[in-house]
Amino acid sequence: MSTQLHQDISEETVRQLADEHDEPEWLLQTRLDALDALEDLDYPSVIETPGRKWTNLEDLDFEALVDPLTQTEQKDQVGPEDVEVASFHEALQDDDLAELVEEHFGSIVDPQQNRLTALSTALFTTGTVVYVPAGVDAEDVKIRTSMTSRSLFNYTLVVTESNSSVTILERQDTSDDAEAVDDGRYYSGVVEVDAGENSYVQYGSLQDFDEDTYNYTVKRGDATTYSTVDWIEGNLGSRLTKTSVSTELNGDSSETKIVGAFFGHDGQHFDLDSKVWHRGEHTTADLVTRGVIDDDARSVYEGVQDVGEDAWDTSSYQRENTLMLSDESEADASPKLIINNHDTEASHSATVGQVDEETLFYMENRGVPEQLATDMLVEGFFVPVLEEVEVEELREDLQTRIHERLQ
Amino acid sequence: MATLELKNVHAKVAEEGGEQILEGVDLEIPSGEIHALMGPNGSGKSTTSKIIAGHPAYDVTEGEVLLHLEEGDFDDVAELPEDARTWDLLELEPNERAALGIYLGFQYPAEIEGVTLVNFLRTALNAKLEERDELLFGEDEEAEEDDEGYETSPMEGPADEGEVGVAEFQELLSEKMEALDMDESFATRYLNAGFSGGEKKQNEVLQAAILEPSIAVLDEIDSGLDIDRLQDVAKGINALRDEQDTGILQITHYQRILDYVEPDRVHIMLDGEVVMEGDAELAEKLEDKGYDWVRDQVYETA
Ligand SMILES: Nc1ncnc2c1ncn2[C@@H]1O[C@H](COP(=O)(O)OP(=O)(O)O)[C@@H](O)[C@H]1O
Ligand SMILES: [Mg+2]
Repeated sequence: MSTQLHQDISEETVRQLADEHDEPEWLLQTRLDALDALEDLDYPSVIETPGRKWTNLEDLDFEALVDPLTQTEQKDQVGPEDVEVASFHEALQDDDLAELVEEHFGSIVDPQQNRLTALSTALFTTGTVVYVPAGVDAEDVKIRTSMTSRSLFNYTLVVTESNSSVTILERQDTSDDAEAVDDGRYYSGVVEVDAGENSYVQYGSLQDFDEDTYNYTVKRGDATTYSTVDWIEGNLGSRLTKTSVSTELNGDSSETKIVGAFFGHDGQHFDLDSKVWHRGEHTTADLVTRGVIDDDARSVYEGVQDVGEDAWDTSSYQRENTLMLSDESEADASPKLIINNHDTEASHSATVGQVDEETLFYMENRGVPEQLATDMLVEGFFVPVLEEVEVEELREDLQTRIHERLQ
Repeated sequence: MATLELKNVHAKVAEEGGEQILEGVDLEIPSGEIHALMGPNGSGKSTTSKIIAGHPAYDVTEGEVLLHLEEGDFDDVAELPEDARTWDLLELEPNERAALGIYLGFQYPAEIEGVTLVNFLRTALNAKLEERDELLFGEDEEAEEDDEGYETSPMEGPADEGEVGVAEFQELLSEKMEALDMDESFATRYLNAGFSGGEKKQNEVLQAAILEPSIAVLDEIDSGLDIDRLQDVAKGINALRDEQDTGILQITHYQRILDYVEPDRVHIMLDGEVVMEGDAELAEKLEDKGYDWVRDQVYETA
């Protein structure tokens, strides 16, 4: 671990960031604690398959990538009237929301989970708070983050009260107005979802950064009794992406779906993990990811279904399929099932393969040229995951971007 | 009148030292006729059909596969250019062969998730018509420009509808499905995904009815069908011949379907060659006496 952190990653910088936004003392302290812990923490664990470590986060040149004092972006944060959608720092100025943030911040994703979450906690300058009061049904909360600077650290908190529901679309991309950079950008995002009793959250994200961006994202949900936390994880952009999406099924009868779609090309690199912890009784999880890689892109996926000792009557399913469009692309996928309670119905499978030659021949025999046939197969391949997406704009945008990438 | 002609076709599996499968096949299928190709398992029937369609797993080492076309073979083509009358199919890609009217009904049709039958077939029909015009009349400039971007996305506007638009196609499809006694709901289901064996076979005949081939090779379209479905499928095959003047090469093991689709000619294949030919009566004789009889006849006289 030879990495030197940027000289600006210091107590002085952290105090300055907190000061600029007039942040409360507890937050400053959390940031300083994270900074303190930084050097002793490991990089996030990456996926390793026999004989191979796919992603080397420690090789990233954080000194060049991170510029904590000049973080800029263009942002939209909108939602229907009966939900609160506030920027992080606005929320801190509102008495009720400030209390909510203090209660939940860092309670689901530990700021000191690893070196990069600690870095994010110490340096983040932007974020969104979504609060859904009891009994409210809200659709189409939309958050857009367009980076304009070299580096950006972002934080999102979603809290739903009992018997409520919400669908959310979060986009991350690089603005057309972004400053030019020579040696890459760095984005780091932390998302925490706290789902109240019998509430429903679908959190969809569409990551479409320019292909100079190194992207590190952690999303985790805490599902209480009878609640559902569903994730849609769309990855199209970036040079390198390391994401972890997970749900703790802590409440009895809680549910989750983790649905992923990715499409890598050129030299893109995706390291994606999905994880569910079955802890309550009668919990259900469904993990479905589909990805396509072309050119010399690489992808590695790991999905873990962890069934705890007390998780009676668990249902847990996982499927992953990666389609390789070129001989130079590389992919691996490993589904893992850890069962500590045998009152479990579970399945897991993963496939990595190329377009089926017999299917292509069949389509060509009907008059469809090879390239068009391949494109149709790829678009069709994504349909089962697209069908899970509730926010129409997300579904359509994913579809459009997949179509564009095939041209 | 179109004619498919196989002359002395030898073929092997396309790998180093690949097995020789066809040992000199001769066949002639004119449009408007129904020919049965029969033979025991492993005699080379499916290989013959795949070679006609251009499957990459086989190399033709000797012989020719030709398609002869005549004025009037395509309803919507007024004048067939002089140099577009005889085609060496072995020079053409599978989709180009399809464009000129070659259709293969598969023994095991592909299942295509996420692509609806209606979307697939309309795309296929339009691609076929476009490719056919390119082959017959050469690429015009516009087609060249368009080559890069076939548009199939539902998001793209009507600009890319292709020659047969959505509404017109819908009508055509409904009509053909009704004629085949197929439930309309199949149109919006994913192609063959979750279809029963019989439904898949019916769907192969439906696709032929839409694509209007000059020559349709149907590989064991009768296997795994109950009697009702067999009759529907047989009706569909007869309609191809009667209404579209399609020439049909019907590959089958059994006499059964020939009771409903009476062949003009019967060809019997053994060990990679066509060894016996005759009219519909030959199929009945075969049913009676079995392939050992054929083998005896052929190897005795040889
Ligand atoms: N792709 C292939 N690779 C190897 N052997 C093949 C291949 N295709 C066909 N064969 C062999 O060629 C022979 C003829 O097969 P096929 O044409 O399928 O016969 P039929 O349809 O008459 O039953 C069989 O012995 C079969 O095993
Ligand atoms: Mg066969």
